[in-house]
Amino acid sequence: MYIETAADFDVTDYLRKEMMPHFLCPGCGHGIALRALLWAIHDLGLDRDKLAVVSGIGCAGRLSAYIDANTFHVTHGRPLAYATGLALARPDLHVVVITGDGDCLAIGGNHLIHACRRNLKLTCLMLNNEVYGMTGGQVSPTTSETRLTTTTPLGNQEPHFDACALATAAGAGFVGREVTHHVPKLKELIKAGLEHPGFAFVEVLSDCTEIFGRKNDMGSSSDMMMRQKSEIRPSAYLDTVDTPFRSNALPTGVLTRNDRPEYGAAYRQAASARAGTSS
Amino acid sequence: MRDPVTTVRPAAWPKTPALKVGPADDACNVLIVGVGGQGVIMVSKVLALLAQSQGFEVKQSEVHGMAKRGGSVFSHVRFGKRVWSPTIPKGDVDILVALEWAEGLRWLPFLKAGSGIFICDTKRIVPPFACLNRKPGAPMRYSKETPAEVVAHVGEAYAIDATDMAEQLGNERAANVVLLGALSTALDFSSTDWERTVAEFVPKKTIPVNLEAFRRGRGWIEDARTSTPAVDVPAPTPATAAPYRIRLDINPAWCKSCDICVKMCPERCLILNAERIAELAAPDKCTGCRLCEWLCPDFAIRVNLDAPEALAR
Ligand SMILES: Cc1ncc(C[n+]2csc(CCOP(=O)(O)OP(=O)(O)O)c2C)c(N)n1
Ligand code: SF4
Ligand code: SF4
Ligand code: SF4
Ligand SMILES: [Mg+2]
Repeated sequence: MYIETAADFDVTDYLRKEMMPHFLCPGCGHGIALRALLWAIHDLGLDRDKLAVVSGIGCAGRLSAYIDANTFHVTHGRPLAYATGLALARPDLHVVVITGDGDCLAIGGNHLIHACRRNLKLTCLMLNNEVYGMTGGQVSPTTSETRLTTTTPLGNQEPHFDACALATAAGAGFVGREVTHHVPKLKELIKAGLEHPGFAFVEVLSDCTEIFGRKNDMGSSSDMMMRQKSEIRPSAYLDTVDTPFRSNALPTGVLTRNDRPEYGAAYRQAASARAGTSS
Repeated sequence: MRDPVTTVRPAAWPKTPALKVGPADDACNVLIVGVGGQGVIMVSKVLALLAQSQGFEVKQSEVHGMAKRGGSVFSHVRFGKRVWSPTIPKGDVDILVALEWAEGLRWLPFLKAGSGIFICDTKRIVPPFACLNRKPGAPMRYSKETPAEVVAHVGEAYAIDATDMAEQLGNERAANVVLLGALSTALDFSSTDWERTVAEFVPKKTIPVNLEAFRRGRGWIEDARTSTPAVDVPAPTPATAAPYRIRLDINPAWCKSCDICVKMCPERCLILNAERIAELAAPDKCTGCRLCEWLCPDFAIRVNLDAPEALAR
């Protein structure tokens, strides 16, 4: 059987221990996603002085506060805007954005599509729990049809966004999706995103057990994780027999990877050419 | 890594040529078995097509549902003047061709008592469910019979390291064609016809290597009939010492009693104690798989795999 023997990763080395235990509810999937991110950072051996984590508002957005690196907890919906400025000004930094489905797709939707369009090198980790968790469980752009939230007492009637399809359509260089239950695979996906030379968008299917799960009678965190697992189809199996997968299964794994020109390098080149001609 | 092997010299290699199964009134029954991905179906299709081209009625039926997952695959080929049923009853198989050792043993009861011919690759593919005990170093559940023991039960048996022979030709995937060569010695079709049919079935680029594989398999059996070759066969895997000792650190100050680790541990060895804090209740069952560490959203569990010498100190 598979045993992870590379045991040198201790997640607590990467946490601000004085801030722990973190504020997430028991069983919140966001904590698992945070581990995967820190594990990926560890695996790549990134210098934490050169790592900048930018996050917006929400339970997902709160996570940057626990990471022992350079972190910015910014306004709701704008982490990509702050990160864009940071990555342009400091191309030596590894810029990572942690955002929620509400933060990234509702109030921040505009910033997302333009970040994808520019293809500036940074990594955007969107933790999708289908709800505004922090503010008590309002509907979000990714809430599935018929789900109950505090703002959809009759069940959600709006069609939901497929964030990965949106990011791909808007031009992101790297797009991937994974569930929290597959921690090593999620880690590998985030690693691939961190290594991608352009804009990398990674959607994590997380879960909000306390509010969304409770409201929709979805059982414990482990029940929610197992349900998510049954609703996906790893991209490696996209062209195999359909039998074990649902017809509407969400594809996971690397979904888009292209080598569109990276915006920062193009911008710097144009700027230095301009400086050369004017002096 | 190859499995550990022992060398066994079977006592009862038949000195006389094999009974050739001819086109009698009774159908000739060939059962081909193996593991998904090995090419069981290809072997049976070559045989079926060849028999058909020689004017026989042929029926072939197969089960390959688990092929993608390395599961059991088998294919029945029956040919003769007239064939009624597509499947071979237990105990009526004239020739059993196995591409994997344990699959061969599994199907042995289907072989005709006394006269059946058994041709088996000594290749071992250990299925995941053979590792019922998932503790590191635990013995695998895999057949323990040696070829000598098997031969004692079968009229004519050949344990052949076809995979190794194919590897020497530079293409491990040609092992099934090595076995096809071995099978060809037991049937009354000319080797020209065999080779023509093989060439029809394999990708153009691999025709030379496959024809060579076919000839080596055929030659191996012919040699085996006149001499007593030693064959390397898999020995049962002994239990080894666990490579490490497992120690779980659970931080009660960070545990939020969410129950994920308790529910997700594959060995069910964690519980929530009276204070509703995670606790390792059955340390002897823990395999050190780290799933609890990975899935704890609160970073409350750390799995340590200590080297045995570190513990002794
Ligand atoms: C400008 C502004 N509008 C609204 C809010 C209230 N608010 C805080 S978090 C949040 C939604 C967070 O949802 P999501 O990004 O999905 O994060 P989650 O809590 O689900 O992880 C909202 C609307 C705010 N803080 N600022
Ligand atoms: S409200 Fe939901 S998303 Fe926020 S910490 Fe609790 S479980 Fe997690
Ligand atoms: S490491 Fe954790 S999940 Fe794995 S067997 Fe041990 S207690 Fe269970
Ligand atoms: S998963 Fe973590 S927080 Fe949840 S019960 Fe287990 S140790 Fe406690
Ligand atoms: Mg959310």
